[in-house]
Amino acid sequence: METVLKINNLSKNYGNIQAVRNVSFEVKKGEVYGILGPNGSGKTTTLAVVLGILNANGGSYQWFDEPFTKLARRRIGSLIETPNFYPYLTLWENLKIVAKIKDAPDEDINHALGVANLLKRKHTNFGHLSLGMKQRMSMASVLIGNPEVLVLDEPTNGLDPEGFAEVRNIIQSQANEGKTIIIASHILDEVEKVCSHVAILKSGELIANGRVGELLSSDETVFIQSEKMDELTEILNDSELTSKVYMVENDLAVVLNTNFKSADLSKFCFEKGFPLSKIVVKKQSLEDQFLELVK
Amino acid sequence: MKKLFSLEKIKALSYPAFKTLMIIHFLLFFLVILVVSRAHFSIPGFSIKGLYQFPNIWQFFPWVASWFNLFLAIVIIILVGNEFSFRTFRQNVIDGLSRNDLIKGKLILIFTIAVYTLIMVLLAVFIFGLINTKNISFDIIFENSYLILIYFVQAIGYMTLGLLISIIFRNNALSIIMFILYFFPIEPIIRVMFKAEARNFFPIKIISNLTPTPEFLTMASEKSYTNASGTSSLDFSEIGLLPEKLPVGITVLLAAGYIGFFIALSTLLLNKRNL
Repeated sequence: METVLKINNLSKNYGNIQAVRNVSFEVKKGEVYGILGPNGSGKTTTLAVVLGILNANGGSYQWFDEPFTKLARRRIGSLIETPNFYPYLTLWENLKIVAKIKDAPDEDINHALGVANLLKRKHTNFGHLSLGMKQRMSMASVLIGNPEVLVLDEPTNGLDPEGFAEVRNIIQSQANEGKTIIIASHILDEVEKVCSHVAILKSGELIANGRVGELLSSDETVFIQSEKMDELTEILNDSELTSKVYMVENDLAVVLNTNFKSADLSKFCFEKGFPLSKIVVKKQSLEDQFLELVK
Repeated sequence: MKKLFSLEKIKALSYPAFKTLMIIHFLLFFLVILVVSRAHFSIPGFSIKGLYQFPNIWQFFPWVASWFNLFLAIVIIILVGNEFSFRTFRQNVIDGLSRNDLIKGKLILIFTIAVYTLIMVLLAVFIFGLINTKNISFDIIFENSYLILIYFVQAIGYMTLGLLISIIFRNNALSIIMFILYFFPIEPIIRVMFKAEARNFFPIKIISNLTPTPEFLTMASEKSYTNASGTSSLDFSEIGLLPEKLPVGITVLLAAGYIGFFIALSTLLLNKRNL
């Protein structure tokens, strides 16, 4: 499958602070790729570097297997951090600027405003919009020129539940059209519902990446207690039953491999000489798994 | 180029402050030349009318207009500073412009404003010159007309300096303050530290010397404009009333060098720094 974005050992410093440290990953055509991480983890910085608005201190990146040129930029629709438009221009005038830069026809402007539900506001100055409307305006500008790739940094920031759902629908419909979408977010639910792949950043470092189903799935987790928890942890880590074992307060949280049930775990522990004093099966939330990963 | 021009047109012409400042610039220039035209010398043998006649008008009008070139530089500082404060330079790059395109766009804007102000002065020169000059001949009309092109270079010089300062400071208020402070007292103080021969080579000195203060006594002398050749019959520099200056050609070349330097440094800074 064609590689849309390839990042190799990317680093970015702000003075003495290393915001991004040797981050590498690839986004293939048609993927909806989430970049997940807590605030300050380097998500926005990574996207700002690969979009050419911040200069990297190390590493490299390529879009469409080529060095990043202004022609490549026009194949990408991007929304980074806050919406950046001329407050004294109307929505239509602001999008006219975007359309001119992207060599897109004027018809795209009305279409994009329609998709973002802002057509009635086309002659309103950008500075007079509410935060949610500004965010929707950003989504409209992203769609100008029918880009192959959408790069969205916190696209639902500042939106009310209705706006949230609208933006999610826009993303979903663009994904259904086969577009590649890269989303930075700290909203796990958003990532799980929309993304096919995810990279998880923590303190500027990539700590995991892969399919969402593999990294962040709503798996069943078995919480157990027994004597000699440390020894039991070691045995379970070596066992074929488990995919992940970790401590949660006084319990040992065990994520079982497919085809194994909690009864198999109980039997295994008993046979190894660790009868269980507690066994509770829970569907672990994404949040728990995310927090576990970034701990 | 056409695309960058149309982008700058949308950005500037829809900006109320830009329109207001350009109207004020226009009104101030015409107000000054109208007010001065009404003034009277009480010195026998001298008349203000001499300043409004060909060929003296080619020196007087660009000199008056040059006062307001600082105003144009501030317009550029505001327009470029806005791009940083609204973070629209950043958005333009995200949307598909290169950083060099950002500079090219602003240079097109500077060139356009300089052409506009050149046309404004040119129109004023012809209107007032034709009304006030007797015994008009083709030679008299166009003698010294090259001075308007030097004024054009000066306008570009001030505006490119404004561009550089706004790219360095990225903040409208700070950039305007630094721009004015550089005129006075920063550069004059630095100049004093150098030998007299070197003082004429500083950027503001060079650019402001492009439209030197007219030789009012010579130009207003009734003898000078009645002279058939149109040249001054009095030479005040000979009697030490006028300061020594660099030759015009060298001043223009040095100014062009400084303009090139301002543009190169602006491009370098915009490419090296984060947006």
